[in-house]
Amino acid sequence: MTFAVAADPGTAVAARVRGLCKVFGATVAVEDVDLDIPDGAVLGMLGPNGSGKTTLIRLLLGLTRPSAGTAELLNHPMPTGAAVVLPHVGALVEGPGFHPFLSGRENLRRVAATEPLLPTRAIPAAVDAALERVGLGNAADRRFRGYSLGMKQRLGLAGALLLPRRLVILDEPTNGLDPAGTRDVRRIIAELHAGGATVVVSSHLLTEVEATCTHVAVLQSGSLIAEGELRRLLDADATGLVVTTPDTDLAVATLRAAGLDAYRDDADEPGVVVPAGDAPGVIALLVRAGVAVHEARRGRPRLEELFARLTETAT
Amino acid sequence: MSALPDTGSLRDAPRTAPLRRLLGAEVRWVLRRPRTLVILGLLALIPVLIAVGVTVAGRRAGPGRGLIGAVAGNGLVLPIVAVTVSLALLLPLAVAMAAADAIAGETACGTLRGLLLAPVSRLRLVGMKAFGVLVVAAAAVLVLAVVGMLAGLLVVGETGWQLVTLSGTTLGIGQALARIALVVVWAVGQLAAVGAVALAVSAWTEHPLVVLAAVLGGLIVFGVLGAIPTLEWLQPYLLTSGWSAAVDALRDPMPLTGMWDATWRALCYLAVGLSATIARMLRRDA
Repeated sequence: MTFAVAADPGTAVAARVRGLCKVFGATVAVEDVDLDIPDGAVLGMLGPNGSGKTTLIRLLLGLTRPSAGTAELLNHPMPTGAAVVLPHVGALVEGPGFHPFLSGRENLRRVAATEPLLPTRAIPAAVDAALERVGLGNAADRRFRGYSLGMKQRLGLAGALLLPRRLVILDEPTNGLDPAGTRDVRRIIAELHAGGATVVVSSHLLTEVEATCTHVAVLQSGSLIAEGELRRLLDADATGLVVTTPDTDLAVATLRAAGLDAYRDDADEPGVVVPAGDAPGVIALLVRAGVAVHEARRGRPRLEELFARLTETAT
Repeated sequence: MSALPDTGSLRDAPRTAPLRRLLGAEVRWVLRRPRTLVILGLLALIPVLIAVGVTVAGRRAGPGRGLIGAVAGNGLVLPIVAVTVSLALLLPLAVAMAAADAIAGETACGTLRGLLLAPVSRLRLVGMKAFGVLVVAAAAVLVLAVVGMLAGLLVVGETGWQLVTLSGTTLGIGQALARIALVVVWAVGQLAAVGAVALAVSAWTEHPLVVLAAVLGGLIVFGVLGAIPTLEWLQPYLLTSGWSAAVDALRDPMPLTGMWDATWRALCYLAVGLSATIARMLRRDA
């Protein structure tokens, strides 16, 4: 089953994947995936463990070759376009990789030395700025060996943020982070998004994705089972408009008089549910009738419910 | 976060970091690694131990004491003897360790992926890694030679600034230094061959220990094969069979055929090793 909301035609894409497959021996890690990541989007890649998120990311980055299909990054085919594309891509894949005997700063300087777009003179400042940005300023000169899991993760993030990127790919960035670290990651993603960069975040923390992402792609056993704009995916699954008001009787009467289906729902707070109706029209109607409208919202499912439903029906 | 280049300009942006910066970063990394420093320190002890041993033994020994005995009272022989003795096992071990860390070690740390994502092109990566291994090989031989000369002059040095050859003639300081330099360069060449093969193994495995085991196992097998008389026809193909040629530098006049043969053999091993490394690195997943 594919459950998808088509992206607007004509928008620029940061990544385009067509018919992508990756087979390891008898295991099919990624199966026939088609995916467009719009330029400037924050895409949350979701899926249970072993669903192919990391393999898909590795294919996108050209770290491994597809068994079939094509992957394009910033309009260049991968892995052949790696030299052109990857300088503009920051990535944290499969956890942070650093040398235990070097300090965080020295590790980062080594990474910076290999970055094509960083002029040699700019390296020390770029390293300091990246360390500050991920909150490692004070621990920069301690050996990586002694870092906690969260600090290692932060250093990995710093490596991806050494210079302005067009595309940032973060594989499980909040792994091992404390709540403050999770907030930092959320802030950094928001900053990247505001700066115009495209961000791809794989995560199994659905609340994280819901808080930061504009788009989602849901993987299950190597197949893409849903993708699209987060809001539209949730809307497509919406239950209607929920209006919180103490004047429930008047509200229901007014709406029914206008020919709309409406019923009381006092489950959490007194209110009415309008299964089908455009929000501005319904609210204007209620306000004109003198109903005190405290709140009106889409009765959207949480991403968690959508995710659970998608991954369960697909099995 | 300002001024992102648009997609059209990607092609015009730099695609690689300057080569000198990459090589510099690699050398920095190699020489900051504690185990590199430890093994260089251990190698520095070899000439000192030989010097002390020879001096202590020299007070009671007579003539005909073999190669190490030639050091007695003849300090400038020490660097050449130290290199020859260490070439059997310790120097290849040092090089194998460097090669093991260079690719398999980086894979195990998860840092190889980072290098490929920077990106460092796969061919450049091999160049960078080979350079790092070569630096370790050169540093190891130089440590032996320099400490050997110092120990020879300070601990042994009865003959002072000259070298008495195995043939009985005496060489001045200039000629002695030239011969030491020749042995150093020659030995680095032999180790480069070991390093290239070790690097190939390193590219084919994810476990640094496999590289060490392969190199040490290979040396032992070569040694055994070289010692079997019926397998004498195999000698020209074994890298190790020419390794005693450094002693030729202590003869006068100096026969060069042994060192030349060993050098050609090393070049063959070097070519095979580097080709295998490149072939693997171009295809390897990270």
